Amino acid sequence: MRIRISTVLVHLLVGSYTLLVTLPILWMFLSSTKTMRELFTTPFALPSDPQWSNFLRAWESGISQYLANSLIVTSISVILIVLVSALAAYALARITFPGREFIYLLLIAGFAIPVHTVLVPLYRTLNGVNLINTHVGLILPYVAFGIPFSVLLLYAFFLEFPSEIEDAARIDGCTIWQMVLQIVMPLSMPALVSVTIFQAVFLWNEFSLALIVIRDDALRTIPLGLTKFQGQWSTNWTLMLASLSMATLPVLLLFVILQRHFIRSLVGFSK
Amino acid sequence: MIDSVQTHKHPSPTRGARVSARQKREWLDGYLLVTPAIVAFVLLVVYPMFSTIYLSLFDYGLTDARIRFVGLGNYIELTQDTIFWRSLRNNLTILVVSVIVQVGFGLILAALIDRGIRWGKGIARTLNFAPVVMSAVAVGILWQLIYDPTVGLANHFVRLLGLTPPSQGWLGDPNIVIYSILVVACWQYTGYVMIIILAGMQSVSQELYEAAEIDGATELRKFLHITLPSIRNVNIAVILITMIGAIKVFDLVYILTRGGPANASQVMGTYIYYNAFTVNQAGYASTISVVLLGFALALGFLQLRLSYRPREDA
Repeated sequence: MRIRISTVLVHLLVGSYTLLVTLPILWMFLSSTKTMRELFTTPFALPSDPQWSNFLRAWESGISQYLANSLIVTSISVILIVLVSALAAYALARITFPGREFIYLLLIAGFAIPVHTVLVPLYRTLNGVNLINTHVGLILPYVAFGIPFSVLLLYAFFLEFPSEIEDAARIDGCTIWQMVLQIVMPLSMPALVSVTIFQAVFLWNEFSLALIVIRDDALRTIPLGLTKFQGQWSTNWTLMLASLSMATLPVLLLFVILQRHFIRSLVGFSK
Repeated sequence: MIDSVQTHKHPSPTRGARVSARQKREWLDGYLLVTPAIVAFVLLVVYPMFSTIYLSLFDYGLTDARIRFVGLGNYIELTQDTIFWRSLRNNLTILVVSVIVQVGFGLILAALIDRGIRWGKGIARTLNFAPVVMSAVAVGILWQLIYDPTVGLANHFVRLLGLTPPSQGWLGDPNIVIYSILVVACWQYTGYVMIIILAGMQSVSQELYEAAEIDGATELRKFLHITLPSIRNVNIAVILITMIGAIKVFDLVYILTRGGPANASQVMGTYIYYNAFTVNQAGYASTISVVLLGFALALGFLQLRLSYRPREDA
């Protein structure tokens, strides 16, 4: 096979651009196990003597607690979003009832409402029911704001669900709940995984709502926790970078493993 | 997929006829299934949205119980508030530059990955997309270190090119701060645009390209006459998504500058937060929110119109 010069050039171009884009993340991971001295003298060299203690110190300074909080808040929110949205999307896609179209349009129009425009009333409402500074106060709006996108994606998927399976289930005397929870949902795993990973990454990184809802240090999610270190470790870069690495690693791994599903949800988002 | 909105409707079989018991049962099932979603959504999204509009008519504070009706007073104040206009202008700057840079680079990158390269497609895609999954907070803090006015990588890099770094720092100079933030935003989101466009390109029929090759078309001509027209709707969708993202930007600006120095990088999102939670002017914050909401809804509805497909039987 003959290789043309233009092919080589295109590979070089894409390769060097990609390297440039990757450089900040690479620098973050490399620097997180360096000494302060090494960080500045040889920014892109491998650490000569990896300082794993940076990770340990960051972990013990609160990162472990923040990661645990994020894990709790994200997983409960995502489970609720998927459940609630799947039920609604199924009804909207497969059942004909008066007002169906209006409800569908209402739900997906909510997609356009940025959370920043409702921070004041949300704070007021959550404060009124004593949910400020609680994880529940964070989970409830996360679920509500996760619904439009999830319904949109699942609705498109359920439209194509084979009706023979539903008919068979009906003949077997299934109630609608059994049908959705025990038959339709297990057969819709690809769509459910797409929604799950999209929402998980989004909520893991969510900052605006966490900023107004959470006060106690012990309740902070990871993005909010990082802002504490932003002030505290503004001169201790290696610790800061170790914290950033620990906050980023879980989503990065999740993305690399489930890339296909994640991209599918993004593409659905643009349709 | 993104065909024009279908307006034709089949007459519903139930219309006019008496509703049977079985049908009522089905309706009930439908309502029960949508209830949890509707309750959560109405209580925590729809009601707050109207509440924002209502509160924009008051002088209202979250921490004291101050609440006084001022009619359109806040809106009048808004028109004379130079910081608000600065915020709006910054949002529009971010919008224009983001669309040009992110969609431009995203499109070129996607085209090169799709048809230009043979080896390492998957790796190029994954690495370019990696910044997207990072939190804006982590990205902001990381770039704050990169932009450090004394020892940051950005200075290092600029000196390598034989240039002088800005004397007041990348984030400290009011004239360039918004562009420094834009570099970070484009760094994070170009990969996002790239991946959506790339998915669109991969569904373009290979036969079209093969036919063009027989006619001896160059790669550039194929791109202009086959690829671009085929992914027109995808491009419109990513432009709208990018515009919406630019209008509601908050996290990145908050982390990098808090809107400073001297409000030079203030955007509507950070100005809302500042008014509501720093200086206790929640009513005024709601007024800014209504403006932001107007932009977001207008763009959102455009996006919805492009993508809405009614159910075929309905």
